[in-house]
Amino acid sequence: MRKYRKWIAAFLIICIAGAAAGMIYYRNATGGERRLSMIYIPKVVDGTNDFWTSLILGTQMAAKEYNTEIEVMAPEEENDIEGQNRILKEAVEKQPDAILISPSSFTESDSLIQEAKDRGIKITYIDSYTEQNIQDITVATDNVEAGRQLGKFAASILEPDDQIAIVAHVKGVSTAVEREQGFRDGLGQMADNIVDVVYCDSSYEKSFKLTTELMEKYPELKMVAGMNEYSSVGAARAVKTAGAENQIQVVGVDSSQEAVQLMEKGVFKGIVVQKAFKMGYLGVEETARLLRGQNYETEIDSGCQLVTPDNMYSSEIEKLLFPFNTLKTPKTNEKGEVYP
Amino acid sequence: MKKKFSPGAMFLGRFNSIQSVIFAMVSMLLLGAVAIVTVISMNYTRTSVFDNSSLYTQTIIQQMNQNIDSYIDYMENISYLVSSNEDVQSYLFGEETDPEARGRILNQFKTILDSRNDILNLGIIGENGRMLINNAQRLTNPDLDIHTQEWYTNALEGSASSYLSSSHVQHIISGERPWVITLSRGIRNKSSKSENQKEGVFFIDLNYSAISELCNQSVVGNQGYAFILDADGNIVYHPQQQQLYNELQTENISLIMGTDKDTVLSGKGSAEKLYSISRSEKTGWTVVDCVRVEELLRKSNKAQSLYVLVAMGLMIVALFFSRFISRSITQPIQQLCDSMARVQEGDFSVSDVVVDSKNEIGSLTKSFNVMTHRIQDLMEQNIREQEAKRKSELKALQSQINPHFLYNTLDSIIWMAEGKKNEEVVLMTASLARLLRQSISNEDEVVSIGQEVEYARGYLTIQKMRYKDKMEFQIDVDPSILHIPLIKLVLQPVIENAIYHGLKYKESKGLLMVKGFRKNGNAVLQVIDNGVGMDQETLDHIYEKHKVNYQSNGVGVYNVQKRLQLYYGSEYGITYESEKGVGTTATITIPGNQEGQQ
Repeated sequence: MRKYRKWIAAFLIICIAGAAAGMIYYRNATGGERRLSMIYIPKVVDGTNDFWTSLILGTQMAAKEYNTEIEVMAPEEENDIEGQNRILKEAVEKQPDAILISPSSFTESDSLIQEAKDRGIKITYIDSYTEQNIQDITVATDNVEAGRQLGKFAASILEPDDQIAIVAHVKGVSTAVEREQGFRDGLGQMADNIVDVVYCDSSYEKSFKLTTELMEKYPELKMVAGMNEYSSVGAARAVKTAGAENQIQVVGVDSSQEAVQLMEKGVFKGIVVQKAFKMGYLGVEETARLLRGQNYETEIDSGCQLVTPDNMYSSEIEKLLFPFNTLKTPKTNEKGEVYP
Repeated sequence: MKKKFSPGAMFLGRFNSIQSVIFAMVSMLLLGAVAIVTVISMNYTRTSVFDNSSLYTQTIIQQMNQNIDSYIDYMENISYLVSSNEDVQSYLFGEETDPEARGRILNQFKTILDSRNDILNLGIIGENGRMLINNAQRLTNPDLDIHTQEWYTNALEGSASSYLSSSHVQHIISGERPWVITLSRGIRNKSSKSENQKEGVFFIDLNYSAISELCNQSVVGNQGYAFILDADGNIVYHPQQQQLYNELQTENISLIMGTDKDTVLSGKGSAEKLYSISRSEKTGWTVVDCVRVEELLRKSNKAQSLYVLVAMGLMIVALFFSRFISRSITQPIQQLCDSMARVQEGDFSVSDVVVDSKNEIGSLTKSFNVMTHRIQDLMEQNIREQEAKRKSELKALQSQINPHFLYNTLDSIIWMAEGKKNEEVVLMTASLARLLRQSISNEDEVVSIGQEVEYARGYLTIQKMRYKDKMEFQIDVDPSILHIPLIKLVLQPVIENAIYHGLKYKESKGLLMVKGFRKNGNAVLQVIDNGVGMDQETLDHIYEKHKVNYQSNGVGVYNVQKRLQLYYGSEYGITYESEKGVGTTATITIPGNQEGQQ
């Protein structure tokens, strides 16, 4: 038995040391974690555009919850590819933990994003993506599905031979391409009724102008479908101005206060709303999980919902259309962190 | 028994010893007791902290419910105050709108809006399309069909005096879509015939500032929060309403709505939440306080970690204590054991074991002490007796003088006297007399080398006279060793042996030399003869007992060797070197540093 006594003594010492280490670990585990830094680059910051406002709100709320510093750097116009690239460069210089970006261009930003990636910055795509598969995480609406919902709804309110025109936002941008494709899918046979596709470069004015031209060009036009907020609201304005809301039905993607009002006025017959808040929130949440080494998903569909005048006042739709902003009175502890 | 150092040995001692057994048992007992007490108190603390906390949460949430009730009460009072106003009747239901009444109503609205920043909108709406909202400056939403709004239709058609909506979006003001809670109240046209028909609605839109404040006040802990559900389980207020609306957060609402209890637990592990529920009769709302169980138990966790620390401290103390106990019991036994071991090896110097306890071990130790002393005495007595025995034996040996030698010498003297050799007779007789005196009269066991050499000289003188033509002798002893003590009768038997075994058989005249000198700190006496010498066999048997020279005085080399070694130790004594036909050298070695004893 003599030879065991060394082991027994060692065992006792290990027990005591282990208990002490356990206590220290327990104390530390309850302590803080590193604050993350992220930069979000949307396509635009525009107070009138509910989509981007909600999305940014989502990123900010998630940032507060996940102990993250988030800076939003955005160009002033949605189609400003150069401006966005310039901002992206600036953001890379700041060397954040992650850059979340809604790329305006399908091709032009790839080299810059690759450079950021090479510097060890994590990349999350929100809403749109680019040609090359550089990103770590993508959070976006399934745009084909959004288009399909809109197409199905459009088909349900049209006669078989009614003419349809599409006002898309930017030619070549992933969201525009996919929504159009989905829209055609949803229309089914009626896809042949599409007489024209125009691009408004995400400008209300240009959309207004193009829609007015379309109405002149196709007097029998029964429907204008906008592929984003700018194109659909611009189109609705044009229809309303022309007083043609009874002849031409307007459907679109993305809502805003104005879009809701136009729906109340009966111009919009249907809007497919993306879950922008959820998109922004999940973008930050999953990126934070990635940075903290937790489980995360690389491809997330944030979902979409068709809003019509019939369901627009229902609780479920109100929750989507109108952000409930509690960010103004966040509850924080003494460290300034927001708790769930 | 080698002792290796190890921390274990330091603590546990020898594991098979009584000490380690006692140590193991006492420490196990103590550690077990500490562990059990710790576990029990940890559990007890956990339960009691949990019970207290949930009771506390329960109290808080009931308080909050009352506060919300009284808040809604207050708003109902305002609504009653406004809707029962005569001006409202005359404005809404009069033949024509009364501008004075309108002004007074707006004044009242202004007062209310200025004093309460938790009221977003308030107004009156008549079925006839007349309406007055806030300061009447903002455009109302022209496209809104008011009859699609629940808060309006419920107040108008419902039987209750007032109707409290859940959270909803207020669309009535153009360009604004805020989330509000609306308190609406149907207004009867007093001039109308149908008593129960309401023809107008008064409403107050409450923003969330007051309610969120009430909820925040009622929060337990850092991560706790309170929220409100309406009668159908829809969210009225939640600190993370937007996240819940977007399905990014969930609350276990079905559990809350389904239970009758005041508190329910939801989730598992670190996500476990305690919902404290309070339902309001008045509003129909359910007020829920949610706190993470982990946080609720943080106090108990702190207490528990304190317990663990204290327990660890106690355990260390217990280890030392049991070591102390086991040592104090076994230390005397250990001492006794060690002493016994040393006594066993013959060392009696440590036999006096100190006894400070009066218990069984104390008396055992005392007995041991007595016993060892007794043994020591007996051994000393034994040694003394042995010594005495040896001395008497020595004396007996020394006092022997060979009668043959005496007869032969006396015969020689007679022959000399007959031959008128007077001088030789005198010399021989004198030598004999000296020899006899020395051998008989000297009682001392030890003499000096000088005396021994003189004795040898006397003996040699006699022998030389007897064997006149046979031998010659020389004595050459370093004067500095003459004083060194030497036991009696050493040199003479060796010389006798040399004469009878060496020189006697030699054809020609032999020479016998006695040399004395110091060598390596010893005194050395050599008896060298050039007689016939001895072969190896004779040399091997020279120390044997039976080789007694009967012609001599009976003291053989064996006797000399035995006495020398008895007296001086085994490393001293006599050695022989011999070569057949050349001669024999006997060397006697004794310690050279003895004190003179004359």
